[in-house]
Amino acid sequence: MEGNIVEAATILGKLLGAGMAAIGVLGGGIGVGLSALGAVQAMGRNPDVAGTIQTNMILGFAFAEATSIYALVVALLILFVF
Amino acid sequence: MSETTTRRWRWGTNRWLVLLFITLSAVLAGIFPPLRPHVQLPAERLTETLFTLPLIGEFQLSNTLVALLLADAILILMALTVRRAVRRGEPTLGGVAAAVEGLVEGLYTLTESTAGKWTKTIFPWMATIVLLVLIVNWTELIPGVDSIGLLDEHHIENPEACTFDTLFQLGSTEVVAVGGESECASGVVPFVRVASTDLNFTIGLAVVSVVATQAVGLRAQGRAYFSKFFNTQTLFKTPMFGAINFLVGLLEAILEAVKVLSFSFRLFGNIFAGSILLFVVGSLVPIFLQSAVLLFEFFVGIIQAIVFGMLTLIFMSLATLGHGEAEAH
Repeated sequence: MEGNIVEAATILGKLLGAGMAAIGVLGGGIGVGLSALGAVQAMGRNPDVAGTIQTNMILGFAFAEATSIYALVVALLILFVF
Repeated sequence: MSETTTRRWRWGTNRWLVLLFITLSAVLAGIFPPLRPHVQLPAERLTETLFTLPLIGEFQLSNTLVALLLADAILILMALTVRRAVRRGEPTLGGVAAAVEGLVEGLYTLTESTAGKWTKTIFPWMATIVLLVLIVNWTELIPGVDSIGLLDEHHIENPEACTFDTLFQLGSTEVVAVGGESECASGVVPFVRVASTDLNFTIGLAVVSVVATQAVGLRAQGRAYFSKFFNTQTLFKTPMFGAINFLVGLLEAILEAVKVLSFSFRLFGNIFAGSILLFVVGSLVPIFLQSAVLLFEFFVGIIQAIVFGMLTLIFMSLATLGHGEAEAH
């Protein structure tokens, strides 16, 4: 795509910014893994209440995922709105 | 295996159906290679300005509103089906009505275990939010959503790189398959786009949820509910800790506003990112891989609906408790 340097710099900035914003999803991955760790350990100790533990694990998973979704939304905003 | 219930398959039919669909999709992907749809954050509008309200502004019909109306129609149909099945007076329901009954019963059990005394007040909010968000998220899986739409050739930058093959005629309009470069898809405005990808829907639903939480808290505790935010109980007895408690109360008020952002962006981010993933995977590998992503999106839709509902439930039941009261189950 030919064009002036301002346009090229904007696109370059957009792509780099989105890539850097996506590093934030790292925290979500660790959080989800910790939530699953706690749930699996609890299920190992007390298999009777595995249903309750599973429900709460899904809830904790959604909370932990939320912050990495925020990072993804920032990346999408940079790519598609600015 | 008893002799009354053995079913012997001479050949499996399902595997041949799957193979048929895969070859059909491979053939169609060869004739009409799929393009990546044009992605934009705000919802696209389908018509020009319909009417203008004085303070609010102009109203256009956007494609996410069409999806929301479709989801409303599905929900009302479900409710009418259950009503008709219940009116018949059988002790057990069958079919769609039984599925809806099981779902509602599961939600009621979940609400009862958390809310206790206030289940009858909280359950309608939570169940409405769960069912609405569930059906809205699942409209993404219907074929034709996000892909069939109006073609406006003026949006495309270089229209010479695009091919428009006429499929058939419907009255005076032509139905056309768009091909060529991927910019050609920017001329297509889909008729139906998933309502959760519109920030209007998610922020509106989050505001409704948070305001309803305050209302339930007011109803449960009366005016003492606002002592959560203006915490002046210990301000005069022990000034040091009282001041800290007062500031914590103000922070709680700010936290309510942050809850709106958190609710809305969680739902929006999940579903919008899922739809972009569907677009990109569908255009890169046209055969079968998008079905795996569709299965993932199915579960993401369920989980986000349940999370929205359960967070509403939890915040509402927290609002019905008071200061320092232990939870009584």
